[in-house]
Amino acid sequence: MIKKILQSFKVAKAGDWFIIILFFALIIISMKLLWNLPQGQYLEIYKNNEILATYSLNQQITKTISGAKGETKITINNGKVRFSSAPCAKKYCIHQGWINKANQIILCIPNKISISILGSNKNYDSINY
Amino acid sequence: MTLSTINISDRDHQIAKLSAIAVALSLIEFFFPSPIPGVKPGIANIVILYTIFKFDLRMGIWVSIIRVFVTSIILGSFLSPTFFLSLSGALFSLLSLIIFKNLSPKFFSLISFSLIASLAHIIGQFVIVRLWIIPHDGIFYLLPIFILSAFIFGLVNALVTNKLLELNPKK
Amino acid sequence: MRLNSLIVYFLIGLLMGCGDNKTHQSKDFIFGTLIDIKIYGESKIDAEKVSNEIFFEFHRLHKLLHPWEKSLITDINTAISQNKSIPINNDEVITIISNAQRLETQTQNLFNPSIGRLIKLWGFHSNDYNQETIPNKETIQKLVSSNPLMQSIKIKDGILKSNNQNVQIDLGGYAKGYALDQAKKILKQNNVKNALINIGGNILAFGRHGERDWVVGIQNPRKPNALASIVLKSGWTIGTSGDYQRYIMVNNQRYSHLINPKTGYPESKTQSATVLIPPSKNSGILSDVFSKPLFITSKEDKANMAKLLDIKYFLIIMDDDSILISKSLSEEINWEDDIDKKNITIF
Repeated sequence: MIKKILQSFKVAKAGDWFIIILFFALIIISMKLLWNLPQGQYLEIYKNNEILATYSLNQQITKTISGAKGETKITINNGKVRFSSAPCAKKYCIHQGWINKANQIILCIPNKISISILGSNKNYDSINY
Repeated sequence: MTLSTINISDRDHQIAKLSAIAVALSLIEFFFPSPIPGVKPGIANIVILYTIFKFDLRMGIWVSIIRVFVTSIILGSFLSPTFFLSLSGALFSLLSLIIFKNLSPKFFSLISFSLIASLAHIIGQFVIVRLWIIPHDGIFYLLPIFILSAFIFGLVNALVTNKLLELNPKK
Repeated sequence: MRLNSLIVYFLIGLLMGCGDNKTHQSKDFIFGTLIDIKIYGESKIDAEKVSNEIFFEFHRLHKLLHPWEKSLITDINTAISQNKSIPINNDEVITIISNAQRLETQTQNLFNPSIGRLIKLWGFHSNDYNQETIPNKETIQKLVSSNPLMQSIKIKDGILKSNNQNVQIDLGGYAKGYALDQAKKILKQNNVKNALINIGGNILAFGRHGERDWVVGIQNPRKPNALASIVLKSGWTIGTSGDYQRYIMVNNQRYSHLINPKTGYPESKTQSATVLIPPSKNSGILSDVFSKPLFITSKEDKANMAKLLDIKYFLIIMDDDSILISKSLSEEINWEDDIDKKNITIF
């Protein structure tokens, strides 16, 4: 059986092997890029007490959310997320920087918006602060 | 009043026959459960490849388009998302073959074309899924798996088509 | 919908981590912070019902005890500031006040919920910490010397009076813990067996997470990740006072909302103080209240304060990143990788 398969490979020419190798490279690269994160790396945005939206962290995008005080922007960049613009004066939420691990959370208290990362985090169920 | 007659050429017969086989294969494939949902070997593509290499690219395009339409009409999925998935895959696939048709046969055999067409097919389907069916980036998790299956089936299809071509040499 | 698409949806759903679907989670913004309720092993309907009941109770407490928006507390504060007495027939608030008085004494007045004026002076009576200047030294001094204490409040025959006009009740360091104890009651009333309730970081563990106990992370004061995690058995609570959630920045200097009643200035040498309280009726309140004296008191006195309050599980992070931890806690805590173990002192 294997002999037969190998026999049929005889048809393969140099260019074919090139394409085959390219394919493998493509598979490996896509695995590294897209499977880098522990399973379930999603971002949950809460406004007041409702889930506003859930986004995959697997993209590069900025979302605008309007809250009680004005517009808040959050930026997702391939596995991490941060507040990039907020209507409050002190911008604490922005200064928190990027988060990327499950259960991490940043609050924009004046605008009542929170971003938290979902995921089956093996380390803890909730964080004390 | 003269009746106008449509002249049916030999070529048309060929297209019809090949399309019929392609449709049949599509239908068979539809009813067979696949191990990973959404992943299909695309055995109808064997017919398309065969057509392209035994006859010419134009005939292959005809057979491909006819297959997509007829299959979806028979299955009752005409103009449904599945139809567009199928159409998109077919179009991307054909497009890639048109673009790469001038690859030198000295270095590239059927295998390359099959692989390229297979990859284009997957990409075409992914575009529709991402834009329309599941507009959520979570879909990208599946990409590596689909690329792998495109590779495997592209290869298998190529080898089968090769065998068929051996048994039915160009006239 | 075609089978194909349905199947792909399903697969996406799986990938989206609905693996743990025995835990129902809901959140809300109350007490000026994020509330996170996780209920394990109940039906979605029951979990939602209980969560909503708890949120409702929290909203009620928020309105009843608010330190600066109109509430029973602000009414009391106004009366006190005008040297008037005020009739008070709310048993709940009467109990809260007397509990707070007891705890004030127990913590040697380091937990002092009557320094509302100072807190306001530093700009913390607002949801935005916008203050750009530090308060006037004399003003602070005057307030401190006037020595406002909860103990100065007397309630007799339903009439409340204080002999110190500078007393202004601010239950910021008490209300969240109290709310946890209230939530405990609601869970029991509804026969919920397993839950984890997080009020702005103050956590109550109830039951277990299925086959294992609940585990909580402890925030790193300077980074958005946990520096350690610890198992929280049923009925246990954990509370932290930290300088990293509510603070003002003036001239690049951080002034936290944790004000030392004896000096009138925010404590600046401590980054965070965490306590774990064993199950008891007031474990919620204690987890909120007891972290404060531990935070405020000087480094040399912290271990003594813990002993005084019978706190066997504590963790303190100083401003130079050194760590003080009790022996009991050090034996059970799980450090995350980036902790310098040489920097740890065990008491």
